[in-house]
Amino acid sequence: MLSAAKLILLFMLACVFHWALASAFAPWGFAVNSMLVFITAFCAILKPPFAYSMAFVGGLFLDFFGTKLFGNNAFTFTICACLICNLAPRFDFDELFPQMVAVFVLTWLAGLLNALLLYSFASSSLWPGFWDLLGGAVLDAVLAPIVFWLVRRILGKAPLCRQV
Amino acid sequence: MIFSKVKNSTYTKASNWYRQFGLPAGFLLLSFLLMILPLEGFISSVKAVLAYVFIPQVRAAHSVSQYAQGVSHTVQELLQAHQENAQLKQEIETAHLLSAQAQDIFAENARLTELLQLKTSFPWKGVWAKVAYREPTQWNTVVIDKGSAHGIQERSAVIAAQDGKEGLAGVVIEVTESTAKVLLVRDEDFSAAVRLESGDEGLLVGDGPRAVQIKYIPLLAQVKKGDKVYTSSSSSVFPAGILVGEVSAVHERDSFLTALTVQVAPLIRSSAVQEVFIILDKGAH
Repeated sequence: MLSAAKLILLFMLACVFHWALASAFAPWGFAVNSMLVFITAFCAILKPPFAYSMAFVGGLFLDFFGTKLFGNNAFTFTICACLICNLAPRFDFDELFPQMVAVFVLTWLAGLLNALLLYSFASSSLWPGFWDLLGGAVLDAVLAPIVFWLVRRILGKAPLCRQV
Repeated sequence: MIFSKVKNSTYTKASNWYRQFGLPAGFLLLSFLLMILPLEGFISSVKAVLAYVFIPQVRAAHSVSQYAQGVSHTVQELLQAHQENAQLKQEIETAHLLSAQAQDIFAENARLTELLQLKTSFPWKGVWAKVAYREPTQWNTVVIDKGSAHGIQERSAVIAAQDGKEGLAGVVIEVTESTAKVLLVRDEDFSAAVRLESGDEGLLVGDGPRAVQIKYIPLLAQVKKGDKVYTSSSSSVFPAGILVGEVSAVHERDSFLTALTVQVAPLIRSSAVQEVFIILDKGAH
């Protein structure tokens, strides 16, 4: 019960971070996606059923603000969750390097997949641009160790977490 | 005993399969269904339900963000005070810093004066709002910090100021109690009836990352690069006479065309929209 409350608290924190960072970096043109960083951390730390659920809900949070299509972020985040949940047993996500590389790659994957889904389902091109996406991916990667540390710190060895 | 072991093993296998493939496949299927459903009807209802869950978080996030900005401002002020204290011992550096600060204040003063002048010059009744949020992948949509509680309704025209001129920024497409979503001019879902300096009318449509265009202009219209584009009185959404931008290119007149299409450079850049004026009473013009 306490673990579930912690997870809800973390999700609210993720929303706050996403809003605050997206607002802060928007004038500079960087597509920062801190919700994706939190979802990556959840998938690396939580047991798969909870990780998939968090990824789906996190995606819905972003879809809530979309005007062209609904469900694309939920789809993208679930795909990302599948990747991380399957890679988690093979990589040590307590190390900084795998955390940063995973977030960097997933930011690109999510950006490309979102653009593709929008183009396919809504015939809309919302490609943020190569440099904006690169800037966002770098910022997401820099943010990753802090977010992983925060998630690990708050959840501790909760029953929802993977057994090491 | 053996039967029980086999039963347990089968149950564990099924549970593992469900965790590994069943749940993500379910979520993917659900997302796919959400994507293929039309945005009106069921999806609107889903969004309305989600609003109850997400809007309080968004409001909290916005408050925290504003508080953090306040704290950052206070810290900056403290640091400046500390610097000034140290600079008293170093007269030259003090002069440089004071000069830099004075320039900032002059710039801010000029910007605020400009906005005040614009406000008094607007013939429409409306409300000023700040851009509170930009979704990272939705560059042509912004969420502002005012909503239905401030009188904003769907299809309200939105104006912004840039380089001392006011121009059309977009239109309100969704409203909650304390926020509203604005579709900017560049968005491909945006359209407005417009009038050129020559008096000819056409339909302005956004095209995402590509140039904004005016379609359906009569073939014989005398349009040239640099002509100003204003909203037309025939628009049911926008008051007439709002500057939209100027003609940046005119497509060549091909013999098979039945109407002319021109490209327009909007006055208001999507990335520069920070403070906006929402027209509440179009009829007051």
